[in-house]
Amino acid sequence: MSKEIKENTDLKKEHISKEKFKFVQKDEKIFDKKFETKPVGYFKDAMTRFAKNKTNVYATIIMMTMILLAIVVPITTDKRYTGEEFQLRFLPPRVPILENFGFMDGLTRVEDQRVDLDTIDPDTGLGVPSSENFVHEYIVMDSLENYSITCTDSQDYCLGGLNRLQIDSGGGDTAILNSFETFSFNLTENPMLYIDIADVAGASDFELNFYIEDSLTSEEYNLIANIDDEGEHEIDIADVLNTSSVFLSSSLRIELITTNDNAYVDFERIALYDDTKEEPLKEHTGYELSTYVPEGGDTLFNRREGEVIMASFKYQKYDEVFGQKEILSYSANDYNDLIEEYGDSYEKSPHPDDPDNDEMWVFPEGFPIVEVLGQSDPIEYNGEQFFTYHLIVDYAVLTGYDEIPYFFFGTDAQGRDLFALSWVALRTSLFIAFAVNIINISIGVLYGAIEGYYGGKTDLLMERFSEIIGRIPWLVTLSIFVALLGSGITTLMFILIFSGWIGISSITRTQFYRYKRREYVLASRTLGAKDSRLIFRHILPNGIGTIITTSILAIPLVIFAESTISYLGFGIGHGVSFNILGVEFSGVSIGVLLADARTHMFARPYLTVFPAVIISILMITFNMFGNALRDAFNPSLRGADE
Amino acid sequence: MIRYTIVRTVWIFVILFTVVSISFSLLRLAPEFPPPTQEEREIYYERQVSDGLMTRRLEKDAETIEAIKAEEITLHEKAFYFDEGDQLRIYEPVPIPRQYLTFINNLFTEFNWGVSQSIQPNVEVFEVVRSRIPVTMMLNLIALVFYIPIGFTLGIIAALKKDSVIDNVISFSVMIFISIPSFVMMSLLLLFFGYQLGWFLTQYPSQDVEGFVRVTSVFLPVLGLSFGALASLTRVTRAELSEVLTSEFLLLARTKGLTRTQAVIKHAMRNSMVPLVPGIIFSFVGLLSGSVVIETIYGIPGTGRIYVDALQEDDYNLVLGLTAFYTIISLFAVLLVDLSYGIVDPRIRMGAKK
Repeated sequence: MSKEIKENTDLKKEHISKEKFKFVQKDEKIFDKKFETKPVGYFKDAMTRFAKNKTNVYATIIMMTMILLAIVVPITTDKRYTGEEFQLRFLPPRVPILENFGFMDGLTRVEDQRVDLDTIDPDTGLGVPSSENFVHEYIVMDSLENYSITCTDSQDYCLGGLNRLQIDSGGGDTAILNSFETFSFNLTENPMLYIDIADVAGASDFELNFYIEDSLTSEEYNLIANIDDEGEHEIDIADVLNTSSVFLSSSLRIELITTNDNAYVDFERIALYDDTKEEPLKEHTGYELSTYVPEGGDTLFNRREGEVIMASFKYQKYDEVFGQKEILSYSANDYNDLIEEYGDSYEKSPHPDDPDNDEMWVFPEGFPIVEVLGQSDPIEYNGEQFFTYHLIVDYAVLTGYDEIPYFFFGTDAQGRDLFALSWVALRTSLFIAFAVNIINISIGVLYGAIEGYYGGKTDLLMERFSEIIGRIPWLVTLSIFVALLGSGITTLMFILIFSGWIGISSITRTQFYRYKRREYVLASRTLGAKDSRLIFRHILPNGIGTIITTSILAIPLVIFAESTISYLGFGIGHGVSFNILGVEFSGVSIGVLLADARTHMFARPYLTVFPAVIISILMITFNMFGNALRDAFNPSLRGADE
Repeated sequence: MIRYTIVRTVWIFVILFTVVSISFSLLRLAPEFPPPTQEEREIYYERQVSDGLMTRRLEKDAETIEAIKAEEITLHEKAFYFDEGDQLRIYEPVPIPRQYLTFINNLFTEFNWGVSQSIQPNVEVFEVVRSRIPVTMMLNLIALVFYIPIGFTLGIIAALKKDSVIDNVISFSVMIFISIPSFVMMSLLLLFFGYQLGWFLTQYPSQDVEGFVRVTSVFLPVLGLSFGALASLTRVTRAELSEVLTSEFLLLARTKGLTRTQAVIKHAMRNSMVPLVPGIIFSFVGLLSGSVVIETIYGIPGTGRIYVDALQEDDYNLVLGLTAFYTIISLFAVLLVDLSYGIVDPRIRMGAKK
């Protein structure tokens, strides 16, 4: 304000002579002029306001794209999203272009796989798991790492470690152990038995005895040593054994006698040497020691501090799955179907390794079967002969792909393409949301119109009714419908409709209260218009903008509720499919996908991430679109709840 | 005011009674699933008889027994019999209207909600529900304490710095958090913090786990519960405060010489808080029913989890008890909100004469 005044005083007063003034329109008559700009209607005005906010326009574009994809992808995709293909399960995401940057490249990170000790490469010192589980050529060698973790299994892959002998608490006082292998002693060669004990506890009140069997003497077992401390002990068998035999063959028997439950002995090594003392005749450490057999129920013998070598690496799962595979028994029916499907364009030719064998032959490239290695002996059943083939198949061709496909989001537990599946799920969710919303709008508008138009007692009663319905928690509605109708699409629709119309009806009611006392309504009524005409022709169109925006904002809420109920397992689920207007809707929704992914969160996070991101983006953009639409239609509400 | 309170309270009980009655009658129409083992069944049916929901009779006629066994005589579909050699002990339900009256009678005279069928066979429904309430309430209250201060602060910052970068960032995050369904949010939280980073447990620990782990285990469910509520609280606070900030009495406050800070704290804040209190009460109810999903995902043994379990295992007695629990909570929240409106703003008193 002060600035303007200041500017005004700065103006110089200038004298303008009278002749310089003239009437602009002296000879003209002034009529109403036509607007030079075009008239702007309600909707156009709203659209202009809508387009002003760029963020909302982008959100709308994204939302529309997602809806479009949800319609287009399920129709056009050649990848499978129905049926089950267990070979293809859990393939990681793989996207063209991105794969070159080591991101979503279709490689699976495999961890904690026990190394097959025979595969350890002497140059690098690294080993890979056994080829039963992983095809070696598909392991990315650059990413291979070996590390060891402790183990306590009595298995040969568990290396080193100690074996602890102790008494079972609450049992007797004698723990007995027998070696699994028998020791052979040639007493002429001065056999020496070495016993390495790493650790003992409670040595003061235990007795540790070692025996071997001598078939010549009357006694069954002969005591050869009594040890009560740790360290390496050397036993000269010939010296301690008072016998006339020359050759002895016996298992070693170890006895721990104690009353102390906490006493134990940790064995590190038991070895037998002859008098040359160079190479042990027999050496038992780690695993071999753990094979010693406890006798009686009071003996505890456990492996400790062993090590197992583990490998972690990246694995080309796609190559493995779509590569050539040997199938031991392939049903003859399926085989015949394949031959029929591919017609006569492929000829089988004799197998190069064994051209004379008419049970073996090869197929040219491009045929699902690479070679047939033989066929089983036929089994006769009900007069028909059944047999299977032993063959090598090209899995990519067999599953209908010319080359290894790209699964953008990977595949799920049933081997279905998650990318296609996500859009199918979104389509289901959107469809249910739209259908439910249309029903809700119909009920709500009708209910609200009657309430608002007639008012008075009608209004009061109907308001109380809708209040009761609206006050029932959704869990209660859910439980009643689930109990009566079971889980499924019908239940889901009922739950969503049950209290979904109330919002629309109260908005409609307000709009009717606003417009029903207007003069034009009165005018129309005076002219004899019926109630229905007043409602649908004169009042409703005025409130339609608000009603539309409210119902569009209700769509994300319905999707929200639908996916939550499906996630809990009460909505649509697997195996539920329904056909509406010729479109087959399979029983997946985002809620179902996320519920399935719950158990695979650790190993396969992509199963959770992709559906979650898709539904989040849809919800966010849908809400932004709805809010923008409301602001555009009703500028006075702008930012009302932002 | 007293009249208004009484009217509202009576109305609440009318709704509660209606909901429980409708639920009882409809759940009785559903097929019945008695406890799985024979011994539990005997106890269960005896209990049904002593509650007056079923009758017991002995069938001693050999021909009739044969006919019943061969299913030539069809008993009531919910009837059940125990074969005791030379006689059958048959339990048959009384008609549903009588069951309903008996149920109401039991409820008002003994507070008897019946016994659980499959979740904890033959344990009083009231006991089962009561034992689950503490953990659910604890989580929800922690969430409440967690999100209210943060929501207020963010809302106030956004309103005071309206249309600045901070406001835009806050408003956009609010839009994101308000849109993402809680189970999606919880799944993502669990995935990143639980499984991938390994900072928190991936399952709610059992009773005997104590100490630090127990404390941290609350973190993920509380986060999952409060994101949505946090976002809406921020949104409402911002809207209310920015409306008050442009009001005329604030201009007056400024004109009489208060600084902006003084005006905001003394006049704007107090006035904008008023409509927020009911909002918070409602959001607590929303939190409570939202915790069904969170409890299911995180394996928390609370009322929400058991609701889902009871529904899946067709334990309808328990479902009825939980229905009453959730209805009571939500209706009393409504009552509180109505009353608080009435106290705060006399113009809204719905019972007042027009």
